[in-house]
Amino acid sequence: MGRRRRHKTKKGVELNLAAMLDMAFQLLTFFILTFKPAPVEGHLALNMPPPVPQTKVERSENVVEGGGPSIQQSEALHLFVNANDLGDVEQVKLENSVIASGQLTDPMKQVINRRLKSLFDLQRTPFDRIQIEVDRRLRYEELMKLIEVCSKQKLPDGSFMTKISFVEMER
Amino acid sequence: MSANSGEGAEPNLTPILDMVFQLITFFMLVINFKGASLDQSLQLPVMGSARPLEWKGEHEPLILNVDLEGRVKVNGVPFAAEKYVSSEARELKDKLRAAGEKTDGELPVPVILRADKGVRFHLMNHVIKVCQDQGYRQFSLSAMTGKEEK
Repeated sequence: MGRRRRHKTKKGVELNLAAMLDMAFQLLTFFILTFKPAPVEGHLALNMPPPVPQTKVERSENVVEGGGPSIQQSEALHLFVNANDLGDVEQVKLENSVIASGQLTDPMKQVINRRLKSLFDLQRTPFDRIQIEVDRRLRYEELMKLIEVCSKQKLPDGSFMTKISFVEMER
Repeated sequence: MSANSGEGAEPNLTPILDMVFQLITFFMLVINFKGASLDQSLQLPVMGSARPLEWKGEHEPLILNVDLEGRVKVNGVPFAAEKYVSSEARELKDKLRAAGEKTDGELPVPVILRADKGVRFHLMNHVIKVCQDQGYRQFSLSAMTGKEEK
């Protein structure tokens, strides 16, 4: 009995694979035609609280009780970026001193990087964040170049600078 | 049997079907539906140090495609930033309220800013301010990681 059954199933049912293959090829064609590899996009994460009114505050020193050594308050390092009508960088100022003029080329970025590095390499740097005051005409691409330079700065604890904010420069 | 009887050869379609199914499986796995929300007409700036965003939050980040005029593009249609961001924020706040999550005025979702490299700062800054007004605090600036196309 069993043998007979096995004999029957050996002959088996023959599926018509051609129809299934047609459908599979149609699906394949759809996926090939709609396939578009995702572009390689990266991100720069920033934590930006809402803007607060900017006031000129004199750098103050907090005196530790008992007459101990004074500790400077952490504060923002200010970069001022002027742009021309084309939206290119015209001048970059670090606090009150001009550190770069003209288009933001790689050598200029290196100059800015060196100047920032010299400040953040200090054992007791008073700065823990960078605030970029930006000309309203500046193109986003140029700003990103500056943000990239700023984000490469290392803080005394070894971490990279993440506290970068930008505000529109008052005209 | 059929071959012997001259009815024509019947090729074995099973291997080809296997191969086609494998290809379909591959394409199904690599298809990226999220890519639809990314406006490919924008020219993003290039930033070598940009890294992929690692977001493991429950809610999806808000993706803003900002064009040269400072408008937010959704599926190719430009919207005023205020209108789009406020409606998205309202929707998110409703979801958070329904889930019983407290926000304290801050939305626990990052904003992915995909802005055209040519957009002027004041337009970009306006979009950021609109987001901040709605309670967004975490921002992620998108950039291409490769070499700039000439």
